[in-house]
Amino acid sequence: MIEVENLSKTFKVYHHRQGFFGSFVNLFSRKHRIVQAVDNVSFSIKRGEVVGYLGPNGAGKSTTLKMLTGILVPTSGRVTVNGYIPHRQRKENAKHIGVVFGQRSHLWFDLPVQESFELLQRIYRIPQVEYNQNVEMFDALLNIGKFFRTPVRQLSLGQRMRADIAAALLHNPEVLFLDEPTIGLDVVAKARIRQFIQQINTERQVTVVLTTHDLDDVEKLCKRVILIDKARLCFDGELAALRRLLSTERILSVDYAETYSDISIPQAHVTYQEGNRVQYRFSPEEISTANLIGAILQRFKIVDISVQEPDIEELIKTVYEDNRALEQRFTETDAIDLTNRNT
Amino acid sequence: MRPLYLTFNVYFAFVRKSFQRRMQYRVANLAGLTTNFFFLLVHIFVYTAFYAASTEPQPLNLNEIITYFVLCQVSFMLMPFWGARSEVTQAIKDGSVALQLTKPVDFHAYWFADECGRACYFLLMRGCPTFLISILFFEVTIPQQFTVFMAFAASMVLAIFMSAAIMITIFSSAFWTLDTAGISGMSGSVIMLFSGMLVPIALWPEWLAHIAEWLPFAGLIDVPFSIYLGKTTGGAILTAIGKQMMWCIIFLGLGRFFLSRGFSRLVIQGG
Repeated sequence: MIEVENLSKTFKVYHHRQGFFGSFVNLFSRKHRIVQAVDNVSFSIKRGEVVGYLGPNGAGKSTTLKMLTGILVPTSGRVTVNGYIPHRQRKENAKHIGVVFGQRSHLWFDLPVQESFELLQRIYRIPQVEYNQNVEMFDALLNIGKFFRTPVRQLSLGQRMRADIAAALLHNPEVLFLDEPTIGLDVVAKARIRQFIQQINTERQVTVVLTTHDLDDVEKLCKRVILIDKARLCFDGELAALRRLLSTERILSVDYAETYSDISIPQAHVTYQEGNRVQYRFSPEEISTANLIGAILQRFKIVDISVQEPDIEELIKTVYEDNRALEQRFTETDAIDLTNRNT
Repeated sequence: MRPLYLTFNVYFAFVRKSFQRRMQYRVANLAGLTTNFFFLLVHIFVYTAFYAASTEPQPLNLNEIITYFVLCQVSFMLMPFWGARSEVTQAIKDGSVALQLTKPVDFHAYWFADECGRACYFLLMRGCPTFLISILFFEVTIPQQFTVFMAFAASMVLAIFMSAAIMITIFSSAFWTLDTAGISGMSGSVIMLFSGMLVPIALWPEWLAHIAEWLPFAGLIDVPFSIYLGKTTGGAILTAIGKQMMWCIIFLGLGRFFLSRGFSRLVIQGG
């Protein structure tokens, strides 16, 4: 469905001199530097997949998305979406994709939602029957009927986002690109949109590529994640694999029944102790969870015990802070996984 | 290949929506109407004073001058003069133009349709009231021959198309400068002068009128209004309209060229 090969994009960024005199000099000579926004990124996405495209601010997510939708021309590399080359066949490609940029609206700001929808019907030449069916369905799922006659500028953010997502799906696109679709929304609105995306994906086999900073989105929607940082791809695989890859350490919390003087256990470090509650940090590679619990039970009486996996937020944070380590581990371990996916 | 009438259908829908969008702002329209009359009165008072002080016969009599300036105010908002704004420029500036590109739409045609819708709106909501109220208070001449009126209508439509094409050409500089106030202000003033908006070209010194004739901008104001006033007649009408057409095509081509250049170097702001 989507093939990306060695994709790169560089921007020229002009350097502005400071101060009054500097701005004069700017008129006559401008220095620029080259910024690598996307650096040699490759991946391939199959029909019906929901992929989370993640990375910190400025990592190159939006730039990639803009190249996939035909807005930006790549500096080098190959992109095909649905068999079309987006920047060469922009209009053809546009007929088969739906795009939502969470921070901006596609709808005509001073027209009622309905008018915008009717205009889109014309643009995409959606047959009346199909159009009616879709509007009915989106009303049932997103409840857009309530504000169908309201000008877009008067909608709340949640309403606008629902209208925008519905608008992007009116022409039954095969691929849906979502750039931060839940940004700024409350919990209920987020849940509603996630559910809708899920439903569209399962019922219509729409391929979804999603960028977000909301990791709940990722956990609820995406089986697969692609991580990029500093313009380079640093992970591509299942969310579970990412978790495995990163969670080399786990936390074991124990509430002891009595106070012991020596609670140390080989291969596990005490990270926290308050009264009878103790936390150990351990690495499953050194000692399995079962063995560790066994060792504790042998020596002590306990009231309660629990193992925590670091949550995805923690994971991603470690990646953003130090992706070198991940990149290395990823290329070693999951390289096979990736080649399988590509074939 | 998509049938042509269907393509036309889409862009015609853009014209209509562009019109409809502006219908939302009624108070602004009323305020604008007041401004039109303010400038109309200034022009009329100045020329009345000039004509009272002069005994020489002029190429246009006072009634014709007044009619000329009424027509100027009728079409002022349609023209690419200073103060003209294009909503599409804003879209380029804030980057939402990117969203337009995700739709299967020819951007140049879309923009042209948007400007045409804008022109229709201002012609109907600003131009018509200005004209009707002016008839009540001033001696406005009205063409007596149907053919003259038809020629005027054709020339006026071409003037509107030309205006839209010029506007796109000027405002597509937003891709490079991001702020078009400077360029549009400067070009707007030049265009305003050479269109005949301030002084009808018939009253210009010969050498300057000659320059104006070689420039495209008279096609916006002076050409259609001279036809209306019956100053351009017979074969000269055809030549004038032909020239308007030619400039229309040239500016459409230029605008298309600039836009495609602009998009190829597009760096979307933010997001």
